[in-house]
Amino acid sequence: MVLLALFVVAVPPLAGQYENLNPDASSRYLIFLGTSALVLALWAISYNLMLGYTGMVSFAHAAYFGVGAYALALIFKRYELPFFVALAAAPVVGAIVGLITGLVALRAVRLYFSLLTLAISQLLFSIVFQWYDFTGGDNGISITLPDQLNDYTTLYYFTAAVVVVCLLLMFVIVRSPFGAALLSIRENRDRAASIGINVRAYELAVYTVASLFAGVAGGLFIMYQQQAYPEMLYWTANAQPVVVSLLGGTTTFLGPAVGALIYVALDNAIAKQFPYQFDIILGAIVLGVVLAVPGGISDAPSVFLRLRERFHRGEKAEAPAAESTGEAIRMIDVRKALESEAIQAEAVHSGKMLLRLENLSKRFGGLRAVDDVSLEVRQGDRHAIIGPNGAGKSTLFNLITGRLKPSAGKVTFDGREITGKPPHVIARTGIGRAFQITTIFPKLTVRQNLQYAMLAHGGYTMRPFGVANRMFRNEAQELVEAVGLGPWADLPAGQLSHGDQRAIEIAISLALGSKLVLLDEPTAGMSAYETDKAMELVRRLATERHLTLLFCEHDMAVVFTTARTITVMHQGRVLTAGTPDEIRRNPDVQKVYLGELEEEELGA
Amino acid sequence: MTPGQVLLFTVGGLSNAAYLFIVAAGLSLVFGALRVINMAHGSLYMVAAFVTVVIANQLGAGLGFWGGLLVAVAVAGAIGGVVEVLVLRRVYGREHLVQLLGTYAVSLVVAGGVRIVFGPNYRTVASPIPGHLDLAGYSYASYSLFMIAGAIVIGAGVWTMLYRTNLGRNIRAAVSDPDLLNATGVNVTRLYTTVFVIGAGLAGLGGSIVAPSQAVGSSIDTDVLVLAFAISVIGGLGSIVGSAVGALIVGMVISFGLVIPQTNPFALAFVFIIMTAVLIVRPHGLFGRPES
Repeated sequence: MVLLALFVVAVPPLAGQYENLNPDASSRYLIFLGTSALVLALWAISYNLMLGYTGMVSFAHAAYFGVGAYALALIFKRYELPFFVALAAAPVVGAIVGLITGLVALRAVRLYFSLLTLAISQLLFSIVFQWYDFTGGDNGISITLPDQLNDYTTLYYFTAAVVVVCLLLMFVIVRSPFGAALLSIRENRDRAASIGINVRAYELAVYTVASLFAGVAGGLFIMYQQQAYPEMLYWTANAQPVVVSLLGGTTTFLGPAVGALIYVALDNAIAKQFPYQFDIILGAIVLGVVLAVPGGISDAPSVFLRLRERFHRGEKAEAPAAESTGEAIRMIDVRKALESEAIQAEAVHSGKMLLRLENLSKRFGGLRAVDDVSLEVRQGDRHAIIGPNGAGKSTLFNLITGRLKPSAGKVTFDGREITGKPPHVIARTGIGRAFQITTIFPKLTVRQNLQYAMLAHGGYTMRPFGVANRMFRNEAQELVEAVGLGPWADLPAGQLSHGDQRAIEIAISLALGSKLVLLDEPTAGMSAYETDKAMELVRRLATERHLTLLFCEHDMAVVFTTARTITVMHQGRVLTAGTPDEIRRNPDVQKVYLGELEEEELGA
Repeated sequence: MTPGQVLLFTVGGLSNAAYLFIVAAGLSLVFGALRVINMAHGSLYMVAAFVTVVIANQLGAGLGFWGGLLVAVAVAGAIGGVVEVLVLRRVYGREHLVQLLGTYAVSLVVAGGVRIVFGPNYRTVASPIPGHLDLAGYSYASYSLFMIAGAIVIGAGVWTMLYRTNLGRNIRAAVSDPDLLNATGVNVTRLYTTVFVIGAGLAGLGGSIVAPSQAVGSSIDTDVLVLAFAISVIGGLGSIVGSAVGALIVGMVISFGLVIPQTNPFALAFVFIIMTAVLIVRPHGLFGRPES
């Protein structure tokens, strides 16, 4: 970063030197190139706030760049306001247009979001292109800079100063808890919502912030080009920030700045002689980066790491031996925990009411997936929901966590009605969830997974300053160790085994301060060894941290060793509920499961 | 507006809808089966338009055009096959981001190639079906009417392929569960290549058919791609019927939007306003289904 800063400062004198050595070269032209690289870097880094940090592909970013340029030109030239007022207006207009159009674009997600931005981009383009009287139509609009900025070296330093200030601001943002929220959205949208992040609001915020900085870049662009033209807004113009971000790397903050340097150099070296070949080269670069190095060139080291890891995997295979020795010791703790549980068991039914479902129903067309279910979960309980496939267990969980809206009925949690509230709101009231399919933030480290959850839970993620990775570090580390993943705290969570990822999930629920943790088939897809290990962890954490659990599970051994209350569901309805002993003796329950067995045999 | 004018602009709208439908149907077919938005779809359209024009001008209008059309569709299909094998296979099932950027890169490469091979100038070709039809005070180019009829035939052909043949049944099965289809002994990899080649062929067909009615230049790829996106989104990505309805809406809006002086400059803007409105009210388009 320091090197880059030195380089930025040194461009004009270096260009002067170069001109002295080589009379053919024009220092003016080199400084012009330097200015354009700076502006491109700013534009691309603002794009990368969306692409690299949030995982959004926008085809409208060029439009805000163009809007900034036009705003400056129109205010300065048409309304004859002072130049610096016009320059200050560029980001403001960019951000306002970005906010308004972003409100529309973010009605859709992912692919459809991208297509909406395309429509918005073309809409803005055709307005600029066709509104001849105001924008000058296809002639564009040109300006003459005020005298104090008309010198190209002054302009260069002025541009550099503005760009550096903008980059610092953006750097503060990406390191902040707000930036952490963006990263978690990129990693896993659903997971981000379930730790309490309002995904759409954050996407709209970053979209607007990116438009603001694109507006600055547009304003700086028209200063050195002295002209704005409608093609700046055309959707294909987005190729530039995309290519630049990919060239330099989308995973590092300054990557796109490096990309901008490479791009301007390539453009100058190749595009002048071979304009058509240049497209092919750009295409080939993007293709290569996308297919081989997902994060761009500066992410290449991680590819080498991956290769090296593959190479060394043989040595790692011996590791589990040590782990299972520790396992034996831990099993003794479990026995102790189970004993102490006997004392606590009576407390369950005197515990406070935590979750109450009243006549909850969910219909999909004619199918009653959940039909008039009433259920109570008391504080400190470990409540299992069992039932054959299709009994409505997963649907019920989705109704509780807000991923589905009930057709009828009421959900009350901790004294508050939460029926039909969005997932991030329900998460904040204290219901944590581990998913049927393991969902974590795979590229974040184990500790970051927990830190970001704690940030979201503490309500810090709206903060665009501060350093996210330094907040809750100790608390997260403590929790990582509590779930037995201490040695792996700094590894990307996605590299851990399936069972360990489950442990991270449960830890995320704890990090969210959840009073109630929903576990959807916590041991699905696990080996017997992993199952024992995971359930031991669940029981231990539940005991140590006084958690209330609501889980569904097919493995009856797990159910009867963990649950204190069991509800049996069949065809969307509650068949019966009671203690494990009562359920074991209930003939209806046996019939339900036997019935399923018969069907399975018939089907086979 | 007199009834004669209404008819004139309706026919204009229909002939817009005709070639746009052929292109959008290819885009939609590929998305439906492979779940990939092909950003290079317009490039295949452009390649075919250039190939048709060059061959037709070499061999003379008439027979030259029909020969050019066949060659162009074959070329577009072949490029599609290569792209599927080299690029698409590596992005199936990955994030939309990777798919968008990957096919976008292909479009850059193809566009660059077209400019090198065919140069930057606009080219035109004479209509293979000259003559016109006079009706209610206005004359209609026979070729426009041919385009409309051609689009109906092609639409019917695609529908028959999807709903009346083995291939179509497999494609529809692949949409809902490719793994299961694979397990029943269908070579899904080859099926995907086939679908992509058909999609590319449709892009090519659209480019060939439109060549006599529009100037062919090196920026028609993005122009048509944007409209094909709008159509697919309005009609619902993955739905052939949706493509037809979307193409009719877009074709008519452009045609009538250009007529009325007050709306003339913003005819294209209307298309995108409609697209935005549809996405907000029905996020998966008029005939689309949500992604599972």
